[in-house]
Amino acid sequence: MTLSDKLYTILIKGNSWKTILGGLWVTVQISALALLLGTLLGALICLMRTRKNPVVRTIASVYIAILRGTPVLMLLLLLYYGVFARAGIAPVMVAVITFALNVSAHVAELLRSALEAADRGQAEAARTLGFSAWDAFRLITLPQVLRIAKPVYQSTIVNLIQWTSVVGYVTITDLTRVINNIASRTMQPLLTIIIGMLIYLALSYTVFGIFALTDKIKARKRGVVS
Amino acid sequence: MSLVEVKGLKKSFGSLEVLKGVDLSVVQGERIAIIGGSGCGKSVFLRSMALLEKPDAGQILIDGRDITAAKGSQLDEIRRSMGMVFQKFHLFSEMDVMDNLCLAPTRILKMPRANAEKKAMELLSQVGLAARAHAWPTVLSGGQQQRIAICRCLMMEPKVLLFDEPTSALDPTMVGEVLAVIRMLAKRDMTMLIVTHEMNFAREVANRVLFLADGGIYEQGTPTEIFDHPQREKTVAFIHKIKYFTYEIRERQFDLMQMHGGIQNFGEKYGLDEERNFRLQLCCEELIYELLDHCYAGRKDIDIKLSVSHAESDDTTQIAIDCGGMAYNPFEQEEDSLGVTILRNMSKQMEYRHTDNRNQINITL
Repeated sequence: MTLSDKLYTILIKGNSWKTILGGLWVTVQISALALLLGTLLGALICLMRTRKNPVVRTIASVYIAILRGTPVLMLLLLLYYGVFARAGIAPVMVAVITFALNVSAHVAELLRSALEAADRGQAEAARTLGFSAWDAFRLITLPQVLRIAKPVYQSTIVNLIQWTSVVGYVTITDLTRVINNIASRTMQPLLTIIIGMLIYLALSYTVFGIFALTDKIKARKRGVVS
Repeated sequence: MSLVEVKGLKKSFGSLEVLKGVDLSVVQGERIAIIGGSGCGKSVFLRSMALLEKPDAGQILIDGRDITAAKGSQLDEIRRSMGMVFQKFHLFSEMDVMDNLCLAPTRILKMPRANAEKKAMELLSQVGLAARAHAWPTVLSGGQQQRIAICRCLMMEPKVLLFDEPTSALDPTMVGEVLAVIRMLAKRDMTMLIVTHEMNFAREVANRVLFLADGGIYEQGTPTEIFDHPQREKTVAFIHKIKYFTYEIRERQFDLMQMHGGIQNFGEKYGLDEERNFRLQLCCEELIYELLDHCYAGRKDIDIKLSVSHAESDDTTQIAIDCGGMAYNPFEQEEDSLGVTILRNMSKQMEYRHTDNRNQINITL
């Protein structure tokens, strides 16, 4: 069989490409929803983690420690076969919840370290000018936090996308599962899996590309005026 | 009425009592320099006035309004009448110079952007930075950043400006440009409180100097009073940049190495070279053994107080010894002992006095 024959069997025959796109869509959906929810939850956990109240702070610390210290696949199995076993929730939703929880712990920590790295003096300067604590945070500290957190956040997203490849364990047909199915059906594992990896690679680099673009826009804004 | 009134201000950090009840009254147009050794609480004092540190007790009235009792928006409003300039500038890093200046007036005072920009350009021209209006803080030198930080305060037209060591983080070549701006404000009768290590500047610009020590205002007065005729001991020591190395000896078998180590550190702090430092240690050692042998011959009530000081003004080192025991003048014996011979060779001046049953020896190296 020539390479083009192999590619035909893998990608075209029996509308294979549609199945692949379907799997990709599931991966993107889970990743995007988990990222959105996880980021919001992470901000909340970070807020708790930086409170003075020792109870609230400890709850947040334990939460972060557990979620960062255990495999996300175990959490997925726990939620799917344990916690939500009889809840009748769609497997995809269980996956979204799982990855949202996992991402939230990482986001909480990266926000906290970004908060610590931000120049406290700037917020103080804003306060002495007459800004309220909230305005000083919103206008002065937050933009710094976002700038500092950005590079780490970007790799968190890419990690998330890759980690979603385990959702096949709970009957979800994501990109990895689709590739695996095609590989066994066509008996062409080597080529099929390489194609699957290339798709993941493209997905990751799309994320990197988006971030690089925003950096460039910002740099141009500074460059033109300074 | 005084513009700033501080009453019984107290502040502790844990068990460390930094301010033990400070009172201060500042009238419109006064320029107050706050000096003192490191850790004397001068920065904490200034930061408390802006309520960046919450005082444990006491009141701070700015233009008649109590900032310590103010809450929320009331506090924000009182803070508007003060400006604070920090050691490390703290320009807003995520925006350019113009936005740094216009943010507060447009957001807080609801000043139209065009008016704010016009005002900002005027201030920037006054400090010589009109050309940098659209630069980002990171590309500016420390001196430029600090001048802009001052402008940022002035945009809000504060009644009083607080400067927390405005030149301490600057390269020596840039100190002048920042001081020039503060001088300009002084000419306009801006009320200012300046924590500074620049003594010459404080003398020139301030009309009152506060020396902080022991958790409060230890001594205050006009620059002439503080810098030329300080009254109290610590002020005297601070002003003349004389710091003492002191060592007490209470037994014959005292820790000589510890004393040498102390003198060594002291000498290094004042930039004495190895040779001078060695001679200083030798003189102290000889003198102490001389006294142990004669004043305290056969006695156990040993009480020798050594103090070493260095005057940067004429680059001399003084050794002062105060001890009890029998009256004994080591310099007026029939024959010089070996120790005294060494001392004679090394010192410029030697004095001996015996008052109140104490031997007092002063040696200048």
